[in-house]
Amino acid sequence: MWETVAQAVINGLLIGGIYALVSIGVTLIFGVVKIVNFAQGEFVMIGMYISFFLANQFGIDPLVSLLVSMPVLFLAGVLIQHFLIRRVLGPNDMPQIFLTFALSLLLLNLALMLFTANYRTVHTSYSDEALHIGGLYIPVAKLIAFVVAMALSGLLWLFLHTTDLGKAMRAAAQNRDVAMLMGINPNRVFCVALGIALALAGAAGSLLMPFYSAYPFVGQVFVLMAFVAVVLGTLGNVIGALIASLMMGVAESLGIQYVGADSGLIVVFAMLLLTLAFKPTGLGGGRAR
Amino acid sequence: MKKARKDSAEKPANQVSLRRQSRREFMIKTALAAGAFGAVPLRGWAADPINIGALYPTTGSMAQIGVGCVAAAKLAVDMVNEAGGIKSLGGAKLNLIISDVQSDTTVTRTETDRLITGNKLSAIHGCYASALTLIASEVAERAKVPLITGSSSDQLNKGRTYTFTPFARASQFARAQLQMSKLVSDTPKVAVIFENTAFGTSTSNGLKELAPGEGVEIVMFEPYSAGFTDASPLINKVKSSGANALFSVSYLNDLILIVRTVKQFGLNVSINGGSGGFVIPDFYKNVGKLAEGLQGVAHWNHDVSEDAQKVNAEFKKRTGDFAFEYAGGLIAQTFMLVDALERAGSADPQKVREALSTLDVSSGYAAMAPGGKVKFGPDGKNIYGHPVGVQWQNGDLASVFPKEDARAALLKI
Repeated sequence: MWETVAQAVINGLLIGGIYALVSIGVTLIFGVVKIVNFAQGEFVMIGMYISFFLANQFGIDPLVSLLVSMPVLFLAGVLIQHFLIRRVLGPNDMPQIFLTFALSLLLLNLALMLFTANYRTVHTSYSDEALHIGGLYIPVAKLIAFVVAMALSGLLWLFLHTTDLGKAMRAAAQNRDVAMLMGINPNRVFCVALGIALALAGAAGSLLMPFYSAYPFVGQVFVLMAFVAVVLGTLGNVIGALIASLMMGVAESLGIQYVGADSGLIVVFAMLLLTLAFKPTGLGGGRAR
Repeated sequence: MKKARKDSAEKPANQVSLRRQSRREFMIKTALAAGAFGAVPLRGWAADPINIGALYPTTGSMAQIGVGCVAAAKLAVDMVNEAGGIKSLGGAKLNLIISDVQSDTTVTRTETDRLITGNKLSAIHGCYASALTLIASEVAERAKVPLITGSSSDQLNKGRTYTFTPFARASQFARAQLQMSKLVSDTPKVAVIFENTAFGTSTSNGLKELAPGEGVEIVMFEPYSAGFTDASPLINKVKSSGANALFSVSYLNDLILIVRTVKQFGLNVSINGGSGGFVIPDFYKNVGKLAEGLQGVAHWNHDVSEDAQKVNAEFKKRTGDFAFEYAGGLIAQTFMLVDALERAGSADPQKVREALSTLDVSSGYAAMAPGGKVKFGPDGKNIYGHPVGVQWQNGDLASVFPKEDARAALLKI
């Protein structure tokens, strides 16, 4: 009995780590730049295809290709902020929504055109390995993904709290106007925020590749969970998104085990609604950190 | 200012259209000349070709299999024509008219209609996906053109007189799957997991209904939502159910995750993935070695007869992959049409239908089917039709069930 529960919790935590990478990106962009990036899932997809092609053409392990996908997507983030998002940052929300939504549709259909709708998988030596600890199974590929995801989240936290640029970013998140009065260059801060967020999405893609198939619509699967986590963990709160993501992974897993295999999402959304009913600002307590 | 610009813009446009006109005239003249000197004499010595319509989705979500079907349809027609065409019609060649039904039911209706009204067709084959074939067969029935298909929906045998189904029906697949589970264990305890839309629900309900009669115990019966991020919770549940066999009614991506997760958990269950996406070359390409030993069911397999192996070798040469069930099946169907055309001695669709209804073959390419015999009953169903149980062995699909069709021993994994 306890084994089944423990296994369900482990499964949930492991996939929650991936949700966290996606949702931290969304929440970072929202916190700092104050826009919702609907295309975040598509950047996960791009990260996956980068890893797939590097593995397929040059035999590079997806975990190594993290070193390619993250910088490439960081650069993409900076360029998107500088050339696209900067132009629509005004008092009106609509152009921003249309911009990121259009970006999502564009990337999705571009991927369909270039890569077709076929599923692409990468097989690594550790793809099918699992650690057996006292009757519990921990898939190696997912464990690696989880550990790297947590390490990246930790690095981000350190960056936000110890470096000048990180502090500037938090300042911009807490009060943009005051931050600008203190001499913070908003475009520079926004560029870095977009870059980091997309790099995290790319990391999620590369980490997923050893155990999940790449296809053009793959981002949609993860971005839904990311949005729930962002709202649950308070919009703009990085730690909140991390904790909420892990909670959602566990809730989904326990839901499948004890409610029904098609009810995982029902449990997740029930959790979201209950939280919003009692704590409308989310678990993070309404503060962007 | 504005006006001037308009004028200057109009002028070159005029010039272009003038030039086009003369070019068109030139083309028409050349075409006429070519017709006068080239095309007319041809009529004198060649028998009129026989038009066969081929309806397959080559774009859209079902394109992957549809494209393979078209390759097979072309191969079949080439085989017939190279062997001298239809002898009773003076060596008339088959002329394949391919139409893309775009994985869409509405398009299927209009395309079938267009194909029939725009061409003098003797017969049609298509569309592989039951949902599309049901529509195409409705249109063909009304136009009184025979349609022969590998689609498995039992609905195709109801109230139709121009539709012929030479292969196993959907209802037979479930029974075969249950019987296969008894090859692995004397007391099969089956966990059925299925994606919770029409496809998964209807297939799994068939399994549930037949299980008691076949003496198979179903210990878990669980719908899941397709496109999940992680199969571990589901497999954790299978593990706690104590099942020794797993039937997964799933789309390709979910199935890949399920298979990988079962292996990671070190779960000792035999997996039966059913038919469709599970028995095509792409499945092995995605899952790799983990697919070894996995079982499925198919309405056709390339090892059912020597003729089938010949066809398979040719198909492999053309496309690089082995002939999957629909590809091989529709080559057999083309030869069934040839048999009917030979006996009808006419390209008239009504006469072809008559000849198909009295078809009775047990040798040659037309008889490439599990059991090796084809004869249609009044409902258009092959009275000998049954599915074949297959297993992935060394990157290839081997027939392992039933005994008379088995070409390899079942590996118990």
